[in-house]
Formats: sequence, C-alpha cells, structure tokens
Amino acid sequence: MIASVPSATLLGVDGTPVSVEVHVSNGLPGFNVVGLPDASCRESRDRVRAALLSSGLSWPLKRVTVNLAPSSVRKGGAGLDLPIAIGLLVASGELEAEAIGGCAFVGELGLDGSIRRVPGVVPLVAALATRVVVVPPGCFAEASAVGRHKVRVAGALAELLAALRGEAPWPDPPAPAPVPAPAAEPDMADVRGQAVGRTAVEVSAAGGHHLLLSGPPGAGKTMLARRVPGLLPPLDGDDALTATRIHSAAAVALPPGGLIVRPPFRAPHHGASAVALIGGGTGHMRPGEISLSHGGVLFMDEMCEFPASVLDALRQPLEEGVVRVCRARASVSFPARFLLVGATNPCPCGEGGPGRACRCPPAARQRYGRRLSGPLLDRFDLRVVVSRPDAASVLAGPAGEPTAAVAARVAAARELAAERGVRCNAELPAPRLDSLAPLSPGAARLLEHRLRSGLLSARGVHRIRRVARTIADLGGAAGPVAEEHVCLALSLRAELAPAEAAA
Amino acid sequence: MSGPGGRSDEQVPTEDAAAATAGDDLPPEAWAAALAGLPAMGPGRLRAVLDTWAPEEAWAVVAAGAGCSRPSVALACRPDPAGIAALWRVAARRVVPAQVWARHCQAGVAVWLRGSPEYPAELLVDAEAPAVVFSRGDPAALEGRRAAIIGTRRCTRYGRDVAYELGRDLATAGVRIVSGLALGIDGAAHRGALSAEGAPPVAVVGSGLDVVYPPAHRSLWEQVGGAGLLVSEAPLGARPEPWRFPVRNRVIAALAEVVVVVESAEKGGSRHTVEAAMARDRQVMAVPGSVRSPVSAYTNGLLADGCHPARDALDVLVALGLSSAPSAPADLRPAPGPDEAPVLDALGWEPATFDELCERGGRAPGQVSVALARLQAGGWVVERAGWWERVT
Repeated sequence: MIASVPSATLLGVDGTPVSVEVHVSNGLPGFNVVGLPDASCRESRDRVRAALLSSGLSWPLKRVTVNLAPSSVRKGGAGLDLPIAIGLLVASGELEAEAIGGCAFVGELGLDGSIRRVPGVVPLVAALATRVVVVPPGCFAEASAVGRHKVRVAGALAELLAALRGEAPWPDPPAPAPVPAPAAEPDMADVRGQAVGRTAVEVSAAGGHHLLLSGPPGAGKTMLARRVPGLLPPLDGDDALTATRIHSAAAVALPPGGLIVRPPFRAPHHGASAVALIGGGTGHMRPGEISLSHGGVLFMDEMCEFPASVLDALRQPLEEGVVRVCRARASVSFPARFLLVGATNPCPCGEGGPGRACRCPPAARQRYGRRLSGPLLDRFDLRVVVSRPDAASVLAGPAGEPTAAVAARVAAARELAAERGVRCNAELPAPRLDSLAPLSPGAARLLEHRLRSGLLSARGVHRIRRVARTIADLGGAAGPVAEEHVCLALSLRAELAPAEAAA
Repeated sequence: MSGPGGRSDEQVPTEDAAAATAGDDLPPEAWAAALAGLPAMGPGRLRAVLDTWAPEEAWAVVAAGAGCSRPSVALACRPDPAGIAALWRVAARRVVPAQVWARHCQAGVAVWLRGSPEYPAELLVDAEAPAVVFSRGDPAALEGRRAAIIGTRRCTRYGRDVAYELGRDLATAGVRIVSGLALGIDGAAHRGALSAEGAPPVAVVGSGLDVVYPPAHRSLWEQVGGAGLLVSEAPLGARPEPWRFPVRNRVIAALAEVVVVVESAEKGGSRHTVEAAMARDRQVMAVPGSVRSPVSAYTNGLLADGCHPARDALDVLVALGLSSAPSAPADLRPAPGPDEAPVLDALGWEPATFDELCERGGRAPGQVSVALARLQAGGWVVERAGWWERVT
C-alpha cells in the first residue's frame, strides 16, 4: 500500500512543501527514509517506531520505504516525524486515506507518542496549501498567525488518531497565554536634557535614517537607542508576518498573540561573529541578527569593538534590505531591512575629544577610529556626538517629552513618506529628490557653498536632503526644504573621521 | 670639507677594497661615524671617547676591547665599563668603517666633527656639545636668528594653528624655525615656516637621517631637507629609540636663541627642552592656553613661573631684539549677527560639541545649527570630528 501526506521543511526563513510518501510492501522487514534527509530527519524512524508502539499500535513486519519528495531538496529537522507516522498508519491500513484528506501535518514525536513543538512553524504553515493543518499544541498561536488555514492541534499520537477516525472530537486549542501587561517599552520622558540626542532619535525613527551616537561612557547613548523602537509605528501586515516568519525560523520566542506587531529590537554583543550577525550556518541556515531586527532596530553598542570584518559585512544588507547567504549546498535570501543604531566611544579610554582628559596615545585613537570604515560611516545619515548631561538637568530638570507625543509626530512624518510612495524618507530615490524635497534658495546656497568648499560630496548632499526632508516633515513644514532644516541636518551629521589627520 | 662634495671619488673605497684594507685612507669623520653607530654609544660616551683619542685610533682601541681603559671614558661608562667595552668590541667586529663612510657619502649626509671648521659655532661652546653632527641640506640655514617652536604631539586645533602661524610669521620676518619634526606642534611650526618661503627651517631629529620618524611626516621631512637643514646626532640607520629624543631636545635648545612652547601637558617631553634651554640661558616663552585644557597646563605653569608670553610672532621678535614686525592683517570676516553672537559666546575658546552648545545656551538644536552654519560660512568656527572650535 502507498500513502502520501503533505508537510513542509524549512529552508532559511522560508518553508518548502514536502510530500511524505510511505510505501509498505511484503519483503524483508525494514524501514528506510530516502530523499536527502539530514541526520535529525533520518533518526525519525526510531522515534516513529517507538511512538507507534507506545501508543498501542502495531508495527508492520513489512518492508517500509519513506520518500520525502521532491527528493532534490535537503530536508532537516524533526518536524517530519508526524507526517511519516501518519503516512505509515495509512499505508498499513490502520487509517483510511479519506480521513486525512485536505490535512497537512507538522510535529516532532516523542518516544511516548507525544507530539512536540518544532521551530519555524510560521514559515512551514505558510508554505502549505491544504485547508487544515495539524500542529503541536505549543505551536497553535504561531500557526494561526498565518491566518489562511484551519489549525488543529493534538498533544499525542493516540489522541490525533482518534480525532482523525472520528471517534473523538478534536482537542481544544490551548487557551492563549494571559497577555502580560504591555511590556513597558522605555519611555522618552526618562531622557532629561539631551536636546540633540532626542532630536537625532526622533529624526532617525521618522525617516528611517541610520544613527551613530558617539560620546563618553554615561552620556546616555544606550538609553537613547533603547527608545527608538518605541517611536516606530507598529508593523503593517506584510512586515509583521515576515518578522514573525524570521523569528519562528530562528526559534526565537514569539509574543503571546503569535504575530510580531511591535518593531523588534536586537542588541547583539560585540563578540558576535559574522555568521551570527548576517545569518548562515552549515547544515540548517539560520537567520542572523540583522534579519531578526527586520522591520525594527539593530542596536550595536560599542560599535568600534566589533571586528572590522563583521562591520563591513553589514554594508551590502544596509544598502539592499536583504542578505543573500551562499553556501556550497544552498543559497538563501534573508530579509534584512532594519534601522541601524550604533553607539561608540570616541577613543579607547572613552574620554576623547580635543582638550579633554583623554589618556590614549594618538596612534591608539587613530586605530580605534579606523575600525569604522569610510563606506560604513557614510551609511549613517545621522552622526551625533553626545556629551554627559550636566548635573542640574539630570537631578532637577523637567522630564522630557513622552514617547507618545514624539511617536505621533513620527507616525505623521511616515504617513507623508508613504504619500510619496516610499516607506520612509531614507528610501527617497535620488532622481526624485528635486521634486519631492525641493530646496529653498537659502538652503540651495548653503549646500552649494559646502559642495564648492569640499566639505560635502555629491552623495552627501543627497543624504543631507533626505534628512532635511524628514526634519521639515516633523516640523509640519510642507513645501520646499528651508535653510534651517538643512542646517540641522548638517549639524546632525558630524564628520567622525579618525581624529588626527597627519598632524 | 668632510662632506661628500668633491672628495667622494677618491675617498669612497669600493666594498672589496674596504674589506681588504679596512680603509687605510679614510678621513677622521668616517671613523667617528662608525663609532657613533655602536650600541650604547650615547653622546656623553662618544664625546669621552673622541676627547681621549683621535678618531682612527679610537676605533682601533674600541675594536680591541680597550674602550674603557682610560679613566675619562670609564667614568662616562659607569656603572659597568667592562661590560660596555666588551659590547663595543663585539659590535665593532660587524662594522666596516669604510662601508659606513661610503653610505654617508652616497646619501649626501655631511659629517661634522667637533673642532672642524664646519661644526656649528653655537654647539661648539655648549657644555654638552655633540662630538659628531650629521646633517643634510644647506648648512647656511644655521646662519641667522633662530627660534625653536616646540610642543606636544597631542595638540588641539588651537595649538596647531598658533604653531603654524608663529612658524609662518617668524619665517617671514627672517627667523629660522628650529623644531623636532614630531607630530602635532613641531610639524605645524615647520609647515608654517615652509608656507612662508622665508627663512629656511632647521629640524633636529632623533633618528638617523634616513629613518623617517614619524612616518606620517615623510613629505614634510623631505621638504625641510630641501628648503633648510636636517640635523641629527645619530648616524644613518639609527632607529628612533626612546632615549634619543630627550637627548635630541638639548640640541634644539642649544641651537635656538629663544624657545617657544606652544602646548604641552604637565609631564610632556617639552619639559626636557625647556630645562635644557634654561640651563643654557636661552629665553623660554610660552603660548597662553585655556586653564581647563590639559595640554596647556605646562605652558600656563611656565607663564606663572615668570616666562614671557608668546601671543604672536611679534612677542618672539621683540624677545629676539628684532622690531620689524609684520602688521597684523585686518579682520575681514563679517561680524556675527544678533542670532549668531550668543552661540559664539557660548562656544568660547574651548572645543565643544553641538550637544553642549545647545545645552549651554538653552536653545533648540535647530536654532543653534543655523547659527553654526552661518558662523562656519563666515570663518568664525570650524568643525572637526563632531567638535566645534572657534577660529581666531
């Protein structure tokens, strides 16, 4: 007898439909899995056999062949345990083929017959075209996030079999976990003083401009960076599903509702390897931190402590919004459109700056500054030197404007960008700048002066114009970009070149 | 004439000949250059050796391991004269004086022995005069009034600008700028002097004249060598070992009539030069700086101790007894407007970040940025690596 059960396997952050074919025939008893299974997939025969026996089912003393079609795609993970077991039951006559019509299955089997959760259920379910999907109870929220299927759950093989035979009702999905009090995202009201830092954070969130904060320890760089995601608008449908898919594939915990709605915030430590940041791996390609922060914020604290090679690997995804990871066996694309927020000290001792109490030898300072290559530095539209706030504003100063007020302005600015046909002003195409961000005569004069005196490159002018457009949008100024907007954009883009040119 | 000019043809033996004859016809300068290249041969020891024996004889004695056989030399080689004599003996085996001499002749480096007619008169009378001086460039650069401009390598823009202007204005007035070609103040002073195309610059360096240090100053090194004079106590190939710099500083002090310290931290290397200058009764002047700037701590301390301030080239010219000062050009910059002046006041004379400027004036970043852009266009302020500084 032969049976075929639909399921899916994970390739990067995308699911690929897999048809699990089981053939049971007379012959020397044996159990073979073919169709490029990896180690965890090949081990499933032992799990399936034990699960069947502990569920009170018989093991056919026949020759069993399992084929995972299409056989050219490598399959990984234990998620194919359940479809193999179901296929075996159908092929050996324990279950009617009609009973599983229109059903797909995803799940790992325990030796006791229990059905366990697997990573990546969101992309797996998204790849399935059947009407009904059966998933482990722990994956109900994730599977429902896709929204196209009737999601059934089953906690054990025996339970599932009974439901499929119509002998018992389908088990109820688990009650959604109580939604915890909305995890208080840090609020901008906590930031006192820091007028420039606050402005930079607001402009960055509104226009999607990458932000680099430089300053001594204790200047509030991390504090400012952690408040950027709170200013971003919630993810829209597509972005939310993509972010959920990526988190699910990377086995990162999802919020109680299953769908990621708030922009993610990722802050990898500076010991991170290039693969951890970009994505990859030998067997199973895992998305990296830049993909996990898709739609949200990637915060790199102590940016100059990251290896230069790791930092330079960011350049291509920063430009294109996706990262293509190629290995000998497979090549996958991970979405990676994120807002990069970097924080760095001006020098190894942290106190740098002309005339400050810096203890670093000049050579060490130059080396430190050179970690950020010119091309990477160029991708930061906003480069701000923050200094320690003075004691008075920390202790007695008024609380800053709360996140809610700033986020409203950011949302309004993003809407203006959407009217121009882009997600945010950082994506404004250079050829359309003249029509979308025209310059007032004063602003044009100022930029022309900068260009002529060599203080600004042609590409720098484009970047300044985009930032100035965002500043004007935030200020509610329609029409051409005025001189004051360009001035502020210039002031927020400090030349953080290595401090000491040849004396 | 001990340099390469004219005599190199008959003076330079081929390498084969050098190896065969060990150079019977070498001039005294060749033996002195070979001696100067030995390890642990500081200026004091070299002078003791060359005061005791004639150069050729000195080489023979040292190569035989008897370098510390006389009390005068042994005294200079304390605490371990025997060890140093042995060190010299071993090192001398690997040195062929004829080759050393050939190398100097080929590089165009002149070797001046103390007592020879070319030896600079200012050094001749010095208590710690170098026994041998290596030089490249025009010896006439030393003839004239000379002022040293020295200071820290880790200078601020203020210090760099002041050093540049002092170098430029003094060179225009015909004063030779003596300095050490280091990063920071030294380099800026020489750049200023070169830009004036006036009096030739003089650089006293710590390494051999073929070992450019710091490497970033290679082109400046060549320009100074081309327009003026490069001087060193070290023979060709000598590495820039740390002990050579304090020793070099005393030569700067000896060659200068006035020493101007532009910026220096409390424990900077400029202290050595200033102490050497004071020991030689050279006038020391200091450029006043912010009392909050660590790199002005030493210069302000000198002023408190009674040194003359060097506010501009005119102050230095007066100290040199020269009255012809270039008249200061009128300030052609447009006066700061009513919106800009408070920002300029908030900036003051110390570097500050955009953030600090907003905080000091209590103004919105937008307003401050407009004011800064206008001030920058007017030439009142400059920005470097996120720090704003006022321009004089």
